[in-house]
Amino acid sequence: MTEPTVTQVSAAWAPFAAAVLLGVAAAGAMLDRALAARTDGRPWQSGLTTPWGETARLLRQRRRTTLVADVPLWRIGGAGLLVVAMLMVVVIPLGRWTIDDLPVGIAWFNAMDVIVWAVVWLAGWGANSAHSLMAGYRFLAQALAYELPLMFALTAPTVGAGSLRVGDVVAAQHGLWFVVWMPVAFLVYCAAVVAFSVWGPFAAASGVPEAGGVLAELSGIDRWLVLAGRWALLTAGAAFGTTLFLGGGAGPLLPGWLWVPVKTTALLAAFIVLRRRTPTVRPERFIEIAWLVVLPLVLLQVLVVSIVVVGRS
Amino acid sequence: MGLNDLLARSAVARASVLVVEVPGWSRARCAVEAGMRRRGWRPALSPADADALVVVGEAAERWRAAVDLVWEQLPGPRARATVTAAVDAAATLDGLHAELADDTRQRRDAAARSTEPAMGTQAGVNAQAQDGDRGEDSDPDMDPGDMHPGDMDMPMPGGIPLAGGAEDRDGLQMDVLHVPLGPVLPAWPAGLVLRCTVSGDVVTQAEAEVLPAAGPAPLGEGLIHGSPPERLDRAARLLLLAGWGDAAVAAARLRDELLDAPDSTAGVRALDRLIRRVGRSRSLRWSIAGRGHASGADAYAQLLEALRGARAAPARSSTPPALTPLDRLPELVAGRQLSSVRLLVAAAELDTATLVRAGTVHP
Repeated sequence: MTEPTVTQVSAAWAPFAAAVLLGVAAAGAMLDRALAARTDGRPWQSGLTTPWGETARLLRQRRRTTLVADVPLWRIGGAGLLVVAMLMVVVIPLGRWTIDDLPVGIAWFNAMDVIVWAVVWLAGWGANSAHSLMAGYRFLAQALAYELPLMFALTAPTVGAGSLRVGDVVAAQHGLWFVVWMPVAFLVYCAAVVAFSVWGPFAAASGVPEAGGVLAELSGIDRWLVLAGRWALLTAGAAFGTTLFLGGGAGPLLPGWLWVPVKTTALLAAFIVLRRRTPTVRPERFIEIAWLVVLPLVLLQVLVVSIVVVGRS
Repeated sequence: MGLNDLLARSAVARASVLVVEVPGWSRARCAVEAGMRRRGWRPALSPADADALVVVGEAAERWRAAVDLVWEQLPGPRARATVTAAVDAAATLDGLHAELADDTRQRRDAAARSTEPAMGTQAGVNAQAQDGDRGEDSDPDMDPGDMHPGDMDMPMPGGIPLAGGAEDRDGLQMDVLHVPLGPVLPAWPAGLVLRCTVSGDVVTQAEAEVLPAAGPAPLGEGLIHGSPPERLDRAARLLLLAGWGDAAVAAARLRDELLDAPDSTAGVRALDRLIRRVGRSRSLRWSIAGRGHASGADAYAQLLEALRGARAAPARSSTPPALTPLDRLPELVAGRQLSSVRLLVAAAELDTATLVRAGTVHP
């Protein structure tokens, strides 16, 4: 059953929202490791416990520092990813309830993903290590590439619903989900989510040629915060994507608050399966394609949406 | 006690190992990697990521400083071992497992270490005349930049001068860093040390050298250059650097299969499937193909050639591919970005074991 409005609940529910976010993120990590175990030749069931094993390993590992590291900025960079993901979830409605239905919810989400620029660069800068610093700068190059297409991809549902409020966007999808008539915006949004999570094909800032990149000097709980932060960002992005494009809590049989995690998990699973087939995208190649091909396509999409909206009214 | 035990057991089930290969022991390294894959362990990307350090082969004295520096950079709990024969790989990994799970021993090791970060060795290009060696490249205290003896009032945090500036190829003032790549670096030719001078993140000059082994490797501990397993090893390394972990693991497993059963038809069929899969991937071509570079520097072309070379030579090949001489590396690498340098070095036809045997370890 679809609900016409979204009601705000008190901020005391925030830990519950964080728990749901981390739960779906953990499920995503387990699926990813199960697929990796199958590639390795081991049974996929052994992959399911790998994220917990990795967490245990990092909790047991000692923390580490380097000579003249910029510790405050480094730790802010490390913990920032998880914090930003939690802040993103604030505007995402779970069915009928949301923690804060900001009048500018979409702009809030955009602001949070811009903060990721600073967070990842700080994580690279703080370590006082050559590879770490270079990886931070490579992430900025990648961010320059995806940010404008992402902003315009977020503009498409805004124009379609006539409002920046996330509740209005969910309500405007009653008849038809936005993904049906804004497919380009949806695809670009998904790619941008993977890119700002520093994950999968867009993990140039933490890859093998960079000797670990921003993760190169991190160990113990600091490393866990960055790794968990990446998964949390990916999940928050997927959840926001289902709200903006896949109708949020709308759907038959199940209640709205169950549909949101189900759809988010489905989108997350699609990301995870597709990631296995793609190599890492190098930022210098990515910038060309993003500015010359993707950006005009998204602008065209926004034009089409605007024409439809004007024609409808 | 029960919770500690549980934590230790799940932690060690998922250990990560930093593998240091000495030139000539590539087959032993393959055995170690296969053992790790079977247990669910993974190769570490950097010393901070590693639980265990495995030196494969008998390393000469010059390696000692590098390996010791890397050992110091491992956070605890940690364990260390040496493997000199492929058959010992499984037993050594078992020993590492036991050592990592032993809480008492790890606590004693942790108590015996200092809490201050260690100052590394100097990384300047002029400093290579000293004894001792550069260690892992991601050590921060290895970037002193240009040292000017006259600047006594220059700020020196931690006793290291700030990076000096110089004009790069586009005329921009960029920081000059000295970044030595290797000898302990994942997906890197064994024993190669490439001392790069980097301005921004573009390499302006480089110097190549190969650290020798303590003695000749026993026959059978190395992969024969040009043979199908060696070609697949190269392909796996290129795929890993390109970021396609799945295909890299598939190539590595095929390599191990071919090492165990050189003439299996199932292996040949799997190789055909891998070649089709890699050839079909447009994103791979877009990602790592070179643009207008001289042949030999194109990582994508080299990858396809390595895979086809493995397919076309089920028996021992007659002539192995021509080797890149060590002094070609600095010119190949100049003006390229550091991550591209990793790809280029992996794509260059380098066999450090042959260089060590021939004694041509300096350009």
